[in-house]
Amino acid sequence: MSVEPFAPPGVTWSRLSPRLVTVRRAISGVVTGVLAVGLLVAGVLVSPWFHAGAGLVLLSGAWEWWLIGRQVPAWGYAERDDDLLVLHGLLFRTLVVVPYGRMQYVDVKAGPVERRFGIATLQLHTASASTDAVIPGLPPEEAARLRDRLAGRGEARLAGL
Amino acid sequence: MEGPAAGEPAAEPPAAEPALERVDPGSVDPATRQVLADPGWQRLHPVTPLLRGWKTLAVIFAVLVHQNFEHLLEPERPSWQLLAAVGGGIVLLTLLSVVWGVLAWRRTRYRIDAEAVHMESGVLFRQQRRAQLDRLQAVDVVRPLLGRLAGLAELRLEVAGGAGGGVRLAYLKEEEAQRVRNALLAAAAGVRYAEGEEAPEAPERPVVEVPVQRLLLSMLFSGLTVWVLVAVAGAVAAVFADGGVISLAAAAPLVLGALGAAWQRFTHGFGFSVAESPDGLRVRRGLLELRSQTVPPGRVQALRISQPLLWRRPDWWRVHVNVAGYAVGVEAQGEERLVLPVGTREELARVLAVVLPDLGTDEAPIDVVSAGLTGRDRDGGFTPVPPAARWLDPLARRRLGFRVTERAFLSRGGVLRRYLDVVPHERTQSLALQQGPWQRRLGLASVSLHSTPGPVAPQVRHLAAEVAAELLQEQSVRARTARAAAGPERWMERGTVPPARAAAPVPGERTAAPEA
Repeated sequence: MSVEPFAPPGVTWSRLSPRLVTVRRAISGVVTGVLAVGLLVAGVLVSPWFHAGAGLVLLSGAWEWWLIGRQVPAWGYAERDDDLLVLHGLLFRTLVVVPYGRMQYVDVKAGPVERRFGIATLQLHTASASTDAVIPGLPPEEAARLRDRLAGRGEARLAGL
Repeated sequence: MEGPAAGEPAAEPPAAEPALERVDPGSVDPATRQVLADPGWQRLHPVTPLLRGWKTLAVIFAVLVHQNFEHLLEPERPSWQLLAAVGGGIVLLTLLSVVWGVLAWRRTRYRIDAEAVHMESGVLFRQQRRAQLDRLQAVDVVRPLLGRLAGLAELRLEVAGGAGGGVRLAYLKEEEAQRVRNALLAAAAGVRYAEGEEAPEAPERPVVEVPVQRLLLSMLFSGLTVWVLVAVAGAVAAVFADGGVISLAAAAPLVLGALGAAWQRFTHGFGFSVAESPDGLRVRRGLLELRSQTVPPGRVQALRISQPLLWRRPDWWRVHVNVAGYAVGVEAQGEERLVLPVGTREELARVLAVVLPDLGTDEAPIDVVSAGLTGRDRDGGFTPVPPAARWLDPLARRRLGFRVTERAFLSRGGVLRRYLDVVPHERTQSLALQQGPWQRRLGLASVSLHSTPGPVAPQVRHLAAEVAAELLQEQSVRARTARAAAGPERWMERGTVPPARAAAPVPGERTAAPEA
């Protein structure tokens, strides 16, 4: 690992809100808990083998807990003069470059849990289905600011296909 | 775009002009005034409900046969009451669908003016759709078998709107469909023609025709043959093993699937011809269902030239393209997006001259492309991937690589099945740099160029990490500059013939209105 291709010169990354860690851990925790309890009950009622399943579920839950804690800080975005950069992934790293002029629309979404914790998810769409530019865990004000800013820049640089 | 028809009486669609905005005739050039002068709202052909009803019948029948396949194989089973009930059901359903079809037909109408195609449809949920003409990506005239018998055709307009986009006018009289297509293309191109004249059909120059013989041979020399043979052999073995009808029934879907795919490829490549016109690329093909596609210049988003292993000796090639707007899914994939099902290198050169007239190099496009198709390592000015990539792709390592010309990006790869992807710079949507754990260890990274949905997904795998990072930076700059210099959406308004590179965007011109 001699070069770091994921750090273009002169780019400062904005990071996601740490609340995203809480939200993701909460969701994953609830799912794991429900599954584990279900399997434990089945273990008592049906066959002790289900306890092994419950153990696996708990293990994977713990692993997810750890993973979320590392994944979220690895996510970042940066606004440049002509394009937006989105960086994500830990094991499989991806850096997406979306030119403002290519943006077709911007989505801001927030589920019930996300709203409770005051974060939102922003997604950029181009004419290509493979553009995978999602920024989760933005505070709503920041999401709105970014959305308006992107929309404004997109309009100024709008090109056809 | 959607409007429920809450208050509207269900009986008669309003004949008068609705409050849709009418383009001021004074502001439009005479060319499009002709189209504008159109008698307003038009109906589809009255036979439409019948044709559609027939399709429903076919679907019901197919489903029934599929569901009761085993019963059909046992001769003494069908009782007359059952047959009558099923037959009655089919008739009833068909009648219902025809009645529905008539209602739908009465509620469907379209209008074309200088700026857009308007269409209103829907029985319960009324829909008004307006497709902007300078966003037109392709126009297809489709003539299904029954439609051909009745002299009817379907007109499909594709605009880049993702799934369910575009406008389908089914069915029109054949001449009507041709006339509407010409008018649309003329209006979309910004052609000017004398008043009182019909939109002229753009002159055509044939480029390539694919002989049936070669199509059949090319199918024989492809992986499909292996599949069909395996399927048939499996079926035969199954029958010999226990001689029962059951095992034949089990093997049948496999054989039918294989034959179906072969049939599909045959009908899609049958009578294939490519022609060039100022309106762009004309592709005609079809055995039972005839299809004529027009892709205006500059609408090809990306292109893949590929060659299955056994086509090497005859030096045959296949070309797929991405065109925005074709529905995502089956239609966007493979067979539908061919511009050359099988052609010699010489024919390939002719097709390229139409699709990508200028790659921005001193050499002819075919020379650049040829180097990419057969070359390895540094042949033809390509940038290869480092030797470390052999751990991840031992076979294709020496074929992987890319080249950037002034106008396009080329990515080559594939050992057994060679391919070359070409993306014009101004058509790049977004870019991505990816790196997996093994790649990180080896100091490699992959670069993807995102194109509109289609069979071509350009990517260069396993580049040296620093080369990849550099490519990402440079390519985003190149795409931006190329976009800024791209010609207007109305292709005939460019000063010269399509390949011309308009020096700068034309800011003040009439094109400004809808884009900005």
